[in-house]
Amino acid sequence: MSTTPTLSVMSLQAGYGDVRVLWDVSLEVAAGELVCIIGSNGAGKTTLMRCLSGLLQPSAGSIVIDGRPMAQATPADFVRAGIAHVPEGRRLFSAMSIRDNLLMGAYLRTDKGAIAADLERIYAMFPILAERQRQDAGTLSGGEQQMCAIGRGLMAAPRVLLIDELSLGLAPRAVELLSETLRKVNAAGVAILLVEQDVMNALELANRAYVIDHGRVTKSGPAIGLASDPAICEAYMGLS
Amino acid sequence: MIYLQIAANGLVLGGLYACIAVGFSLVWGVLNVINILHGSFIVLGSYVAYFAYVHLGIHPFISIVIAGGVLYALGYLVQAGIINRVVTAPVLITLTLTFGLDLILNNAMLVAFTADYRGISLAHPLGSLEIGPVFLPGDRVAAMALAILLTILLYRLLRDSSIGRAIIAVRMDREAAALMGVDVKRIIFPISPLNGPVFLGKAFVVCVLGGLGSVPGALAGGLLLGVIESFTSYWLGPERAVTVSFALLLVLLFVRPSGLMGRRGYE
Repeated sequence: MSTTPTLSVMSLQAGYGDVRVLWDVSLEVAAGELVCIIGSNGAGKTTLMRCLSGLLQPSAGSIVIDGRPMAQATPADFVRAGIAHVPEGRRLFSAMSIRDNLLMGAYLRTDKGAIAADLERIYAMFPILAERQRQDAGTLSGGEQQMCAIGRGLMAAPRVLLIDELSLGLAPRAVELLSETLRKVNAAGVAILLVEQDVMNALELANRAYVIDHGRVTKSGPAIGLASDPAICEAYMGLS
Repeated sequence: MIYLQIAANGLVLGGLYACIAVGFSLVWGVLNVINILHGSFIVLGSYVAYFAYVHLGIHPFISIVIAGGVLYALGYLVQAGIINRVVTAPVLITLTLTFGLDLILNNAMLVAFTADYRGISLAHPLGSLEIGPVFLPGDRVAAMALAILLTILLYRLLRDSSIGRAIIAVRMDREAAALMGVDVKRIIFPISPLNGPVFLGKAFVVCVLGGLGSVPGALAGGLLLGVIESFTSYWLGPERAVTVSFALLLVLLFVRPSGLMGRRGYE
């Protein structure tokens, strides 16, 4: 991982009004990596993701994508720069068809042929979505909605896919299927930055991991190493 | 046979109501702005058509383009210059704002055009249409057909184009739409100029009847309201038509708040 990072975050600070949430976060995602962020509720994971997609302007620090600083960038700038954000709670357009939801993901793209090909690729990845493409997204089960949300993110043809809470509230079988798919997506060259409550699953999926606590990165390293770190096991997996 | 005639009159009227309500419904649905200004814009559009005919001899079916252009420009200015500043504020703020703007525009029109009722009689009417026992003035039918055509075009635009999907997406979840790369601030202004001809009260009823933010709903609600008013006028007298339509609105709010064709996620 010695290549220049696709996404790099330096000393990021952010918050809402007077409430500071992120105090000092630095991290990197290299091309093709699968990186996860773990941390307890309220640690600032979602706030970090919101900064990384332009929904929230950081108060200090920098975000650089492929060497380009993203100061003052809008969400559309982030999408153009190759970042797609699958938000917590999926946030599908519930009264819109599955197909239209997926096409929304490609909103900024103009290459009609490639969009159609990507749509087919998503349908092949998640056949249930193809079967129900005319149905409203709100009629899907939780796991299927997450497939649709990931599909929608991939329709932007991103180089880094941000996923906020992959498994929250989903059945174990759905999580297994989604994790398997993410591995394939990653193997195909899309870097993934994953925020995940299920620490065991996250460390199993990822190459590297960052631990965030109270808005600061407290630990980072190869996922395997962190998985056997007794402090991590105790704090986040309830093991000792 | 008289009932057939009344129903036909109602449908002709309803086509116009539908066109009137579509813009209002979209602005309400997409922006969550109740645009009180809508009615005055329609009146202003009517004046443009009136003066174009009286002074320049331009037929109303042609001056639609001029009226559309003038109101587009005005709507754009109002949206970009004023409404966008508070567009994310609670609905009461924007309602008050458009109410104030409406007072200004309305009174400005009173000063400029006086309160006299004006109408035009076309030098070359299209004649009348006879379908069996039903008798319809050709110009009215043409106007209705045009209104419905515009409504359907708008519907296709919303359903089948990328910009249309974006409009609906913004309506459902502004933030998620922003994540797709939609410029949420810009998506909003191409709509209000489409307002076209409307009377606010009718637009309200049609929206509630049909379901907010739904173009087929506005079409169905408009036609339904036209037919209902037409029959009420016949049975109870024209002065009762408005009373009945608002009574209907209240009943429907109790029974089916999402409207006849409203869907989950749009309420």
